[in-house]
Amino acid sequence: MTAILKRVALTLVLLFASSFAVFAAIRLSGGDVTAARLPASATAADRELFLQQVGLDQPIVRQYFTYLGNMFRGDLGNSLTNNASISALAVDKMRNSLILGAAALVLVFAIGIPLGLVAALRRNSWVDTGITSFSVAGMAIPNFWLALILIYIFAIQFQVLPAAGQGGWRYLVLPSVVLAAEGVALTVRMTRSAVLDTLGNDFVRTLRAAGLSNRRIYLKHVLRNSLLPIVSLAGLRVGQIVGYALVVEVIFGWPGVGQTLVNAVLRRDYPVVQFFALVLVVVVTLGNLAASIGYTLVNPRLRK
Amino acid sequence: MSSDTDPIVDPGTSGTTPVEHATDARTPLLEIDDLRVGVKGDNVAYDIVRGVSLSLYDNEILAVVGESGCGKSLTALSVLALHQSPPLHITGGAIRYRGVDLTTLSAAEMRALRGAEISMIFQDPMSALDPMFTVGSLLTSAVRAHRKASKAEARNAALEALADAGIEDPRRRFDEYPFQLSGGVSQRVMIALALVNDPSVIIADEPTTALDVTVQAQILERLRMLKEERKMGIMLITHNLGVVAAVADRTAVMYLGEVVETGSAQDVLAVPHHPYTNGLLAAVPRLNSKVADLKPVMGRVPQPQEITAGCAFRDRCERALDRCATEHPVLAPRHRTSVRCHNPVD
Repeated sequence: MTAILKRVALTLVLLFASSFAVFAAIRLSGGDVTAARLPASATAADRELFLQQVGLDQPIVRQYFTYLGNMFRGDLGNSLTNNASISALAVDKMRNSLILGAAALVLVFAIGIPLGLVAALRRNSWVDTGITSFSVAGMAIPNFWLALILIYIFAIQFQVLPAAGQGGWRYLVLPSVVLAAEGVALTVRMTRSAVLDTLGNDFVRTLRAAGLSNRRIYLKHVLRNSLLPIVSLAGLRVGQIVGYALVVEVIFGWPGVGQTLVNAVLRRDYPVVQFFALVLVVVVTLGNLAASIGYTLVNPRLRK
Repeated sequence: MSSDTDPIVDPGTSGTTPVEHATDARTPLLEIDDLRVGVKGDNVAYDIVRGVSLSLYDNEILAVVGESGCGKSLTALSVLALHQSPPLHITGGAIRYRGVDLTTLSAAEMRALRGAEISMIFQDPMSALDPMFTVGSLLTSAVRAHRKASKAEARNAALEALADAGIEDPRRRFDEYPFQLSGGVSQRVMIALALVNDPSVIIADEPTTALDVTVQAQILERLRMLKEERKMGIMLITHNLGVVAAVADRTAVMYLGEVVETGSAQDVLAVPHHPYTNGLLAAVPRLNSKVADLKPVMGRVPQPQEITAGCAFRDRCERALDRCATEHPVLAPRHRTSVRCHNPVD
């Protein structure tokens, strides 16, 4: 329990640190904030005035504390490009990304674990070779390229799935598959080696000697023992999905956090970048936190 | 100690006075007959267990003794087809349990037999129990692998087995995980797991090797009690002659995949006829002997691939004759034991 509390405290520190890092990085990365909002004909004085209005003429540390103060009051600020309220924008984008990310995460484990288990149990057979090659391919193929190939096959050649946009579940298929691909590949390999490791344990022989069926031994005992490393790295899978969401949402025109963030960075829309980047940090941190808690829950040594 | 005191007389042999060798007239529970187990790979093929014959009767402890690599564990594992296959395969012989050849069973038939008719106890109890499940869950799974039982029935069977295995507080242990148990308690849990489906035979592969000496004695005593209370046949695999002396009724000494001497434990230990048995006994430290008096068995055990014709022990044997190099000795009765030797010790 204290371990979990310590973890939560550490998470809070991390959130503050990363909010400042994002805040500073976007300001130090150059580019002209005023270009997105003001016409090209705007004079230097106009630009100065605009910076004053949005508070960007202040020292960076003061800007940061103003930003923190506003955030704690629930004011996320407005977009610099169209003055839209970020809070109004946030809910929709976050929900869209959550749907896509959750679908991908489910695919990662729902496909990766069974395939890894089968590969391990049929090791050195053609089934194993097939699954392992598939997972090597999954790791080697860049996801933007995979996205284009899948769009070409399923949206253009066979026209069974939409190429981009958002609507029913059919719109979710291609982006979530692309987003999950590398995670599936890694989970397959990790599960395979964890299962092989577990199979070498003496207790498997004990269970056999007690007359348990193979099915029960593999699906209950071996899988449960092999889950530890998979669960402990589930946080990394979340991080991966969040990272790739930036690319995948842009390619598939998925109106989520990733797409919004990429557009905001291109326009130097500081408040939008700050908020959505922080959202990603929170998701990754929560993912890791959930993974540690999950690890504690599945490991009886830590639970007791 | 030996079957002399056994009141049960097989009806087929009624009238026979159960003296030494008379056990051979009863029907064994488990009969290993000229068993060969070997490595069969793409370009290797050699046997590790080379024609082992052993009989295990009810109400007896048979100790199979030998040094590391002599094939005693592999013999034990192959009874329940638990040997690592591939690369190991049973290449010849038969293993009969109540007359049925186990080497011909299907995987499903073998599974039904494991734990219910013949159980096994393994060497290192700490790693032989699944760390992710409680003692109770392990035992109830084993119960339900063999019969339909309600949760409460399975729980009762598990608690009873824990008590029979000599565990003080079965209810508490039921909810504990293996990492919470000491080595001795873990081994008792293993025994409970072996008992929970009430088998007739237990094969214990070095059950006390990983344990403290005091715990060893308790575990052996528990096995002896089980034999007596339940009339079980227990095959005890060990490299420790002290264990043989403490609990075994009969013993078989193995060397390089063969039984080289067998008989009642008392006879084999008191008057060994095979030079190897003799050497092993001379290598056992005694309280009234000096370290300098200990005589190791000279030389090293050959690899199974190196075995040639003749006696496998001859290169290490002080009593080797010319014919030992060419002629493979057979296991033949000599006084009160049976010996595989051309020039036995008298």
